[in-house]
Amino acid sequence: MEGRLLPILLACLCAVLSAVGIVLVRRMVRCTLLLLVHSLSIAMLYLLLDADFVAMGQITVYSGAIVVLFLFVVLLLPSGGEERPLERGRLLLVAMVGAAVLIPFAIAFAGVQTDPLAVAPTDAGFGVKKLAHVLFGPLLVPFEVTAVLLLVAIVGGVALWQREDRGGAA
Amino acid sequence: MIAAVGTTSQVELLVLGTSMLLFAIGVMGLVARRNPMGVLMSVELMLNAANLLLVLAARVRGLLDAQAGALLVLVLGAAEAVVGLALALAFFRHKAEADVADPGEVHE
Repeated sequence: MEGRLLPILLACLCAVLSAVGIVLVRRMVRCTLLLLVHSLSIAMLYLLLDADFVAMGQITVYSGAIVVLFLFVVLLLPSGGEERPLERGRLLLVAMVGAAVLIPFAIAFAGVQTDPLAVAPTDAGFGVKKLAHVLFGPLLVPFEVTAVLLLVAIVGGVALWQREDRGGAA
Repeated sequence: MIAAVGTTSQVELLVLGTSMLLFAIGVMGLVARRNPMGVLMSVELMLNAANLLLVLAARVRGLLDAQAGALLVLVLGAAEAVVGLALALAFFRHKAEADVADPGEVHE
């Protein structure tokens, strides 16, 4: 882990800045591109944390599929999905919700005890083979259920679209 | 100045803090956005933050179960995006402005 502080710091900075951009930027196309930057920096973090396979999954699923899906929908939405600026009352609500989440987090973060003498786990233990042993061993049932979940999602998406088509024709 | 070496615990704290911050940003975006796409993107931010914490836990404890869990969450995020975007399209395609506070025909 030593020597990885600087790359991890950069990736963290990238992830946080792009996340702030996603929330603040008004034009949805730019938001989507920021989502791409965000997911790539998260993938970078996974890579630096020895989660190679999860990083590849992140790049394929998020940076590939989901960002493209978002781009398509932005193009199909009315006026590119433009939205009205925030009113003052809503801004206050956002600040309150943010504080309600951040304050407990800050308290928890302050209470974290790190053990300087703790031995970092050996890097030899990680790899796709071992991950497969977990996925197809103890986690087999959840893993197989995700297949059903994806199928249901596809059927749901198609059903929602067709229902809208019928409504438009009538 | 940050030392170039960086102990393990420093790195862990950095990633932990980032994960918390990302989740908070996601929650705030969820409230602030009126656009269904913006809301969905905020949810993706929160999912990513939780996933990052899972991967960090796998690294700290040396357990692969958490990484496998992160993979499952990834798939969940994809399914959520598909259904969410289909909903957004179905409800806002024929409207002049996409605004979640005024979804029109949801009750139909």
